[in-house]
Amino acid sequence: MRLGVLWALFIASAKMFVRNRAAVFFSLFLPLIIMLIFGVLNFEGSTSIELGIVDEAQNDASAALVERLGDYDYLVISEGERDAELAALEDGDRGYVIAIPADWAPPAPGSESGLVAYASNADPAQAQVGQGLLQQAVGQALFAPAGGGTDEGSGFAAPLQFESVESRDLGYIDFLVPGIVGMTIMQLGLFGVAFGFVQLKRTGALRRLFATPTSPAYFLSAQVLSRLIIGIVQVAILFGVGIWFGLQMFGDYLSLLVIVLIGSAIFLAVGFAIAGWAKNEDQAAPVANLVSLPMMFLSGVFFPRDAMPDFLASITQFMPLTYVNEALRAVVNEGAGLLSLGPQLLGMGVWVVITFVLAVVMFRWE
Amino acid sequence: MTASSSVEPRAGAPASTIISVRDLRKRYGQLTAVDGVSFDVAEGEVFGILGPNGAGKTTTLEMIEGMRPIDEGSARIDGIDVRRDPREVKRRIGIQLQSSAFFDELTLVELLHLFGQLYGRDVDPQALLGLIELTDKAKSQVRTLSGGQKQRFSIASALVNDPRVLFLDEPTTGLDPQARRHMWGVIRRIRGEGRTVVLTTHYMEEAEELCDRVAIMDGGRIIALDTPQALVDALIGRGFRKERVERLANLEDVFIDMTGHDLREDD
Repeated sequence: MRLGVLWALFIASAKMFVRNRAAVFFSLFLPLIIMLIFGVLNFEGSTSIELGIVDEAQNDASAALVERLGDYDYLVISEGERDAELAALEDGDRGYVIAIPADWAPPAPGSESGLVAYASNADPAQAQVGQGLLQQAVGQALFAPAGGGTDEGSGFAAPLQFESVESRDLGYIDFLVPGIVGMTIMQLGLFGVAFGFVQLKRTGALRRLFATPTSPAYFLSAQVLSRLIIGIVQVAILFGVGIWFGLQMFGDYLSLLVIVLIGSAIFLAVGFAIAGWAKNEDQAAPVANLVSLPMMFLSGVFFPRDAMPDFLASITQFMPLTYVNEALRAVVNEGAGLLSLGPQLLGMGVWVVITFVLAVVMFRWE
Repeated sequence: MTASSSVEPRAGAPASTIISVRDLRKRYGQLTAVDGVSFDVAEGEVFGILGPNGAGKTTTLEMIEGMRPIDEGSARIDGIDVRRDPREVKRRIGIQLQSSAFFDELTLVELLHLFGQLYGRDVDPQALLGLIELTDKAKSQVRTLSGGQKQRFSIASALVNDPRVLFLDEPTTGLDPQARRHMWGVIRRIRGEGRTVVLTTHYMEEAEELCDRVAIMDGGRIIALDTPQALVDALIGRGFRKERVERLANLEDVFIDMTGHDLREDD
C-alpha cells in the first residue's frame, strides 16, 4: 500500500469532481434547489386531523362509532393496537388517539363517554382547534342513532377527557431533509461515478493509467474515497440548510454518518456496476435513470409511503433507498440509535452484498 | 524475409541490445493480429514500425509495453521479461498512447505531479514542459489544449519517470505540417538525451527523417527490417525506377516555405 499514491489520486479525483460543473450541479445544487422549493412550498397547510383509533371493545357499538367517525372528512383515521398508535402519537404521526376500552358500551346521554383520549402536546395552538373539532365529531357520533342522521344536536358536549402525551412536533421539513439526504447519496453514487468513469473509459484517459506501474485498484479506491468524503460534505450542507429551515435533529450524528456511509456504499457499487458495463455515456445514462427514478418517487423521498396503494408499498419497501430513508428518518425524527434499526440495517446489508457482487461481475476496465 | 536480429552499432558508443522481441503472437478468435514478430532494438536507437492500418503495429507495441497480454513468444526490455514482470517493465519505459486523453479538469502541472506520484517520483514540471515548449500552458487545464499540444503533452507525461525507452504510437497523426516538424524536433531532442525511441507512423517521410532503422509490417508479420537507406538501395537494386522525373521540391516544401516553421497559436 503506497499511501502517497492513494493521496495524490484522491486529491486529483476530488479536484476533478469539484471542477466539473455538471457533476457539482446535479449532485449538490439540484438536491439543494429541490429542498428549497419544497421547503418554501411547505405541504403542511392541510386542516385534517390525524386520529388514531384503538378499538379494544371489538363489538357492534364500537364498530358503529368508528364507522360514523369515518364520515367526517376532516378526520384522517388509522386503526391499530394501543402501543403502536401511542408510539405514532409520540412520533408526531398522529395528532390524537382515542382508545375504546374492552368493556366499552354506548353511554347514555349526559353520562361519561368511557372513551380514553390522548392528545399530542407538540403544538398547543393547533391542538386546541383540533380538540374542539374532535369533541364535536365524537359527541355527534355517540349520539347519532343507528342508520345515520348526525345533525340533531349533541347529547355530549365534551365527551373526551384528553390526556396530554409528550410528543414531537414534526413539520414537513423534518420529513423532507432525511429523504433529500437519501436521494443525494443515491444520485452521487449513481451519476457521480457512472458518468465520470465511463467518460474516462471512453476517451482512454483510464488506459493511460495502465501504462504506469501503479495498480488501477489505487485509482478505484481513490475514487470511492473522494466520493464518500464529498457525500459527507453534501449531507452536512443539506443538514445545515435544513436546520435553518427548522429541521430538528433528535438522533446522534454518528448513527447518521454510519447510515450515510452504508447507503453510499450501496449506490457507489451500483454506479461502478453501470460504469463498468457501459461503453459510453449514452449507455450509462438510461440505465442510471432507470435505477434512480423509481426510487426517487417510490422510496418516500418527498412524500410518505403510507399514501401508496398497498401492493405498491409492499413491493417498494424492499428498495435500497427505502431502507436508507427509513433508517435516516428513524435517526433524525425519532432519535433512534443504530441498535434499534435492525430491520433497516439488515435490508441495507443485503443490498450492499447484492450490489457489490453485481459491481464485481459487471466491471470492465476497458 | 525474416526479421534481422543484427544490430547496427551507432557511431561513438558501443551499442547494446535494450529491446529483444522473439516470435510474438496475438490472436483474436480466428484473426491472427500479430503472427510471429521478432526484432532487436539497440540502446539509443530510434526504431520505426511502419505498415498500413490493421498490420498489427499497435498490438505489437502494446504487447511489448505490457499493456496487452502476450499469447505466444517473448519480449524483454532492459533484461526484464515483459510476461513475467510487466510492472517492472512499465517502471523503466514511457508510453504515449494513440489517443492522448487525460483527466480533463486537471492542469498540466497537476497532471505531471500526479503521474510522477504513480511512479513514486517527484518531477520538475517546468523542465518537462520546457522540453515540449508548453511552459506558458502550465496552469491550463488539459481540455483547453489543441490536438498537437495534447500530443506533445502526452510525450511529457511519458517522460516523468526518466524512462530508458520511449514508445510513441503514431505521435504525429492528425497534426499540421508545422506541428509535425515541431514534434520531430522534440523526438530528436529526446534521442539526444540518450533514450531509445520506438515509434509507429504512417508517414514514410517521417520515418526517413527520424528512424535509424525501420520494420515494415503487413498482415501481422515483419516483411522488411533495415535502415531506410538500405531499404531504398535494395529496391533500386531490384531494378525499380520512379517514373516521374525527380522534382527539386514538393508541395509540402512550398507550404512550409510560405507559412513558416513556427507553430500557430491554436496548435
